[in-house]
Amino acid sequence: MQTVTLKPKKEIKISVEAENISPDKFAGKTEKDIQSIEIWMGNRRTTIGELFSVKVEGSAPAADTKLVLEGDFSRVKRIGEGMSGGLMIIKGNVDMHVGAKMSGGKITVTGNADSWAGREMKGGELIIEGNAGYYLGAGYRGETCGMRGGKIMVMGNALDFVGEHMCGGEILVKGNAGILPGLSNNGGKIVIEGNTSRPGSEMAKGTIIVNGTVDEMMPVFKLEGTEAVEGVAYRKYTGDVIISGKGVLYVK
Amino acid sequence: MAVITDALCPFCGCTCDDLTIVTEGNKIIEAKHACKLGAAKIMGHHRIKAPMMRTDKNGNFKEVSYEEAINETAKILVNSKRPLLYGWASALCEVHKKGILLAEEVGGIIDNTASVCHGPSTLAVHEKGLPTSTLGQVKNRADVVVFWGSNPVQAHPRHMGRYSVFAKGFFSDKGRRGRKIIVADVRKTETANIADEYIQVQQGSDYLVISALRAILSGHADVVPDAVGGVPKEQLVKLVDTLKAAKFGAVFFGMGLTQSQGRYKNIDNAISLIFELNSFTKYVIMPMRGHYNVTGFGQVCSWETGFATAVDFARGVPYYNPGETAANDLLLRKEADAAMIIAGDAGAHFPANSVRHLAKIPVVQIDPYWNPTTEVANVVIPTAICGIEVEGTAYRMDGVSLRYRKMIEPTHPTDMEVLDRITERVREIKGD
Amino acid sequence: MELLIKNGAVYDPKNGIKGDKTDISIKDGKIVDKVSSKASVIDAGGRLVMPGGVDAHSHIAGAKVNVGRIMRPEDTRSGLKPRTKITRPYTGYTVPNVYAMGYRYAQMGYTTVFEAAQAIMKARHTHEELEEIPIIDKGALTLFGSNWPTMDFVREKNMDKLAAYVAWGLLASRGFGVKVVNPGGGEMWGFGKNVTGLDDVVPNFDVTPRDIIVSLMKVNEMLGLPHSVHLHCNNTGKPGDYKTTLASMELAKQVRPSKDRQVLHVTHLTFNAMGGTNWGDFESKADEIANFLNNSENVTTDMGQLIFGSATTMTADGPLQYANAKLTHGKWGNGDVELEDASGVVPMYYARQVSVFSIMWAIGLELALLTKDPYKVLLTTDHPNGGPFVNYPEVIALLMSNKKRQEEIKTLHEAVHKRTKIPGIERELDFNDIAIMTRAGSAKVLGLLDTKGHLGAGADADIAIYDIQPDQIDPSVEHAKVKSAFSSAAYTIKGGEIVVKDGQIVATPMGRTFWVDASVPDQHTDIMMKDIRLKFKNYYSINLANYMVQDAYVTHPNVVKAGVISVEVS
Repeated sequence: MQTVTLKPKKEIKISVEAENISPDKFAGKTEKDIQSIEIWMGNRRTTIGELFSVKVEGSAPAADTKLVLEGDFSRVKRIGEGMSGGLMIIKGNVDMHVGAKMSGGKITVTGNADSWAGREMKGGELIIEGNAGYYLGAGYRGETCGMRGGKIMVMGNALDFVGEHMCGGEILVKGNAGILPGLSNNGGKIVIEGNTSRPGSEMAKGTIIVNGTVDEMMPVFKLEGTEAVEGVAYRKYTGDVIISGKGVLYVK
Repeated sequence: MAVITDALCPFCGCTCDDLTIVTEGNKIIEAKHACKLGAAKIMGHHRIKAPMMRTDKNGNFKEVSYEEAINETAKILVNSKRPLLYGWASALCEVHKKGILLAEEVGGIIDNTASVCHGPSTLAVHEKGLPTSTLGQVKNRADVVVFWGSNPVQAHPRHMGRYSVFAKGFFSDKGRRGRKIIVADVRKTETANIADEYIQVQQGSDYLVISALRAILSGHADVVPDAVGGVPKEQLVKLVDTLKAAKFGAVFFGMGLTQSQGRYKNIDNAISLIFELNSFTKYVIMPMRGHYNVTGFGQVCSWETGFATAVDFARGVPYYNPGETAANDLLLRKEADAAMIIAGDAGAHFPANSVRHLAKIPVVQIDPYWNPTTEVANVVIPTAICGIEVEGTAYRMDGVSLRYRKMIEPTHPTDMEVLDRITERVREIKGD
Repeated sequence: MELLIKNGAVYDPKNGIKGDKTDISIKDGKIVDKVSSKASVIDAGGRLVMPGGVDAHSHIAGAKVNVGRIMRPEDTRSGLKPRTKITRPYTGYTVPNVYAMGYRYAQMGYTTVFEAAQAIMKARHTHEELEEIPIIDKGALTLFGSNWPTMDFVREKNMDKLAAYVAWGLLASRGFGVKVVNPGGGEMWGFGKNVTGLDDVVPNFDVTPRDIIVSLMKVNEMLGLPHSVHLHCNNTGKPGDYKTTLASMELAKQVRPSKDRQVLHVTHLTFNAMGGTNWGDFESKADEIANFLNNSENVTTDMGQLIFGSATTMTADGPLQYANAKLTHGKWGNGDVELEDASGVVPMYYARQVSVFSIMWAIGLELALLTKDPYKVLLTTDHPNGGPFVNYPEVIALLMSNKKRQEEIKTLHEAVHKRTKIPGIERELDFNDIAIMTRAGSAKVLGLLDTKGHLGAGADADIAIYDIQPDQIDPSVEHAKVKSAFSSAAYTIKGGEIVVKDGQIVATPMGRTFWVDASVPDQHTDIMMKDIRLKFKNYYSINLANYMVQDAYVTHPNVVKAGVISVEVS
């Protein structure tokens, strides 16, 4: 087991692009190695050591590496991008694209995560104990697939476009979700415990379950009757009928 | 007295190219054929006379030389870790090219005014593409024209006469009489008053209404409830019949659609409606672009960088993600630490919190005119007016590029010259 | 400025040099017989030397290409390369930015590239982009096949007016040649319809695609344009389209060439040699097309080779693109131009295991391998329709190595065995054939063989040196080395200047834009312009005075003179 602890040395106002902060990049490395890893703040090339204090205990491959991020990371983007294994705990808030393209391992954010958390995620687990921004588990602009695999859980609320273009994987939002969750869903599963509006537009495949109130229903679903899912009765809809979609939408 | 014929209007995205400009000395005394909005710009005043600077934004400006103002601008940009270069919509494409090079040199973010008007249309194009045509196709062929969340009577006065409502063409020799005009909007606009049919959409419900139309079109009227977004189902069914009966239909959308709830997803959905209508008959869709060359910036930025706007050069390669890299994303996060506002008015059109941040950071304004951005600027560099005093290229709302003529001689340096000198100075400071 | 390239294994088909050690002398941007002892020297060390590559059909600039970029940020984010002191940033794979366009062609040893389609009304945009593409020489072909004046003059059978219109249209668009795409269909797509064959009548204009093609070929030769008519056939991209392709090629027999070249270039044959009646019984008919070419002297073609992976299809064939968008359920760009033509842009992903794509992959290769004379089949991918141009080295390797083809076939859908002939074709092209298909042939097809595509005295000093020694390599076996060498030139010399060294850009001079100034008798122009003025008064949405591309958009012109009147060339 290797544990790496990062703490910002001072307040970060201009976004840092930190795709190099991940177990894959830190595994087996010493404090000095990690301090010298390149990182960008705005248009300045700098190093992890310049911006963060680094503490390393042990040495291990990525799968056995744990990162602990303490302090304010709300202006640090792309943490854990493409990570394939290991653990990461972000104690507090984190900026956009946390866990983007991750394929394995687990990230826990104890605060809020800004937009595009779990963008194009392929595997692994992302837990956000606070709220998530826009485009949770969605894709990049113009891309046909967002999340393809893995699990995202948000304890709080998420903003609009949860799981846009999802092609696989699961998203659970314990609170409310903004408009158009599961837009163009192409095979993912989304569960929203709270309220939302306009779920499942242009859904081709996959499942969306809403346990709270649906503020506005899309006029593109066929009501199939009621069905019990894990003992709970739902109205079951299929659609989006416009695109002959095979998606299933359960609304309490 | 001199007369310039076939002159182009540098006001809105219609880029009317049939103006006759009469000048006397170095003054324009008449702009024939121009609408009120265009004429007002062409004949307009409120010019900034000379470069000005101040350190305290509450203090008064002091006139300085171009040399000093350009030097200060270069210093501000080079010292910035997150410079924003914003505006561009009222400038020619030749200016855009130089702006993009400068943004590259300083590792900045370049964004244009589409950010606060039709930027969402571009995001929809990423999702669905854009089935469109030049405006002459509409003029010659259209028998159904829909204005959705757009109000040409107010915003694009000559659009209807030249291209859409009243224009006569090869297959449309009856003009207005051969066309059905439909307006969908939250309120009964002046354009709705001259329409054959008005669809009153509840505020923020455009997305739902468009989906209902798509459902009906695809033969699934059964799933559509009795009313959607305040529009009765019967009216929607009738509208679909009208749309399908067209030989050539055109949909022009405006900020009523791009800036209401759902924003670009409304356009995304409308594009899908057009896609599906083309299985029955011919349809095209087009944004009613505001500034005369806001389209041009998107074109230039796309061929130069691959992305249409909101391009972040911080790391030397273009990165694009509106929501993250657009002007207001940066300002609302208080991330930009310097801004250069050129040929666009952030002061007037940005949210209050963005303007508040602008008031706290060094701001350079490059513009012929005094406007609200001037109030938050530290350095002001007046330039010649593109399209009136400077010739060059702009793109009409339908993507047709045209060359603007020079009407009178400039009294100030051009934006191109100013940007060249800033870039040169930036390179000197950086030691490149 | 003098340069001497010594010890190169030179392939220069026009001058009959096939790998011989030949010195090449360069002075002031041109190839000369001799240079002085002061010339700087490049020792090619036995490595492969060819004229700079010439691409006669690629979509590199203009409205369609930019629509592709705007539609595809997901494409733009691939292939990124940061700016350097010499180069601007590179972006994109199928729809690169203007800089990557020039740099990547130069890095492959290409120095001349022609954009395959521009509508006159949007030509200013094409030239704005061409002006920003570094290094390479370029030009653009102008669309004439659905223009209202074309159809009017064809209906009137007035070849003088049509010739005057073509000459004026080339001037208005600063165009290099006559492009015809789905003739007649571009107009019909204005109402969402299409022609289905050469003899359908275009409503309101009362002409057929056959009339349009033949008439344009006639005036093309009347005008003595450097290039021939460049045709994208009707029905392109539909199973069974090979019949329309063959019938269109037959039309070439009706017209005699005015120059030592074809009278008809039929483009991107991968999309035009399709058999079957639907996508289920779809099969390759490349053998029938090759058979035609082997028995004809007036027609040339290019491969439009399919490359597996991502592509962005873009063409003036609007109805084809709507059909494609319906197949992919994806994005659809459409850009009809009033009184002129249609256009469409649709992203595509060519997966290996899809039968249709496996068969299409075979078509381009079959065509090149079954046609005996490499001058008749140019190497293209119809960038970015079949795939991006950066894959030309892959195509070269496939043509030179049956072993590589067999390795590929193993990864494809089994349909490639049953519905194509490619598995049984053993022919392997040599460096001379490749030099023809990518240099001498393309230059000849374009009518530029006097200065492009060869290394004789008087030619432009556009030269590529590749890091392989032809006498020490067996391309059949070492195809990976061939591919890698063609991907990254050891040297690219453009106009006598070294622009690429060891695969890296070292200089970015501005290339020239070729366009054709064809003269016709004034009275023909006067009569023709009466019609044109009416078109602007009544139908165009812009004024005639704002239509023509101004000189400001062609800052490095190379004007090629042509015309029915003999003109003194200064």
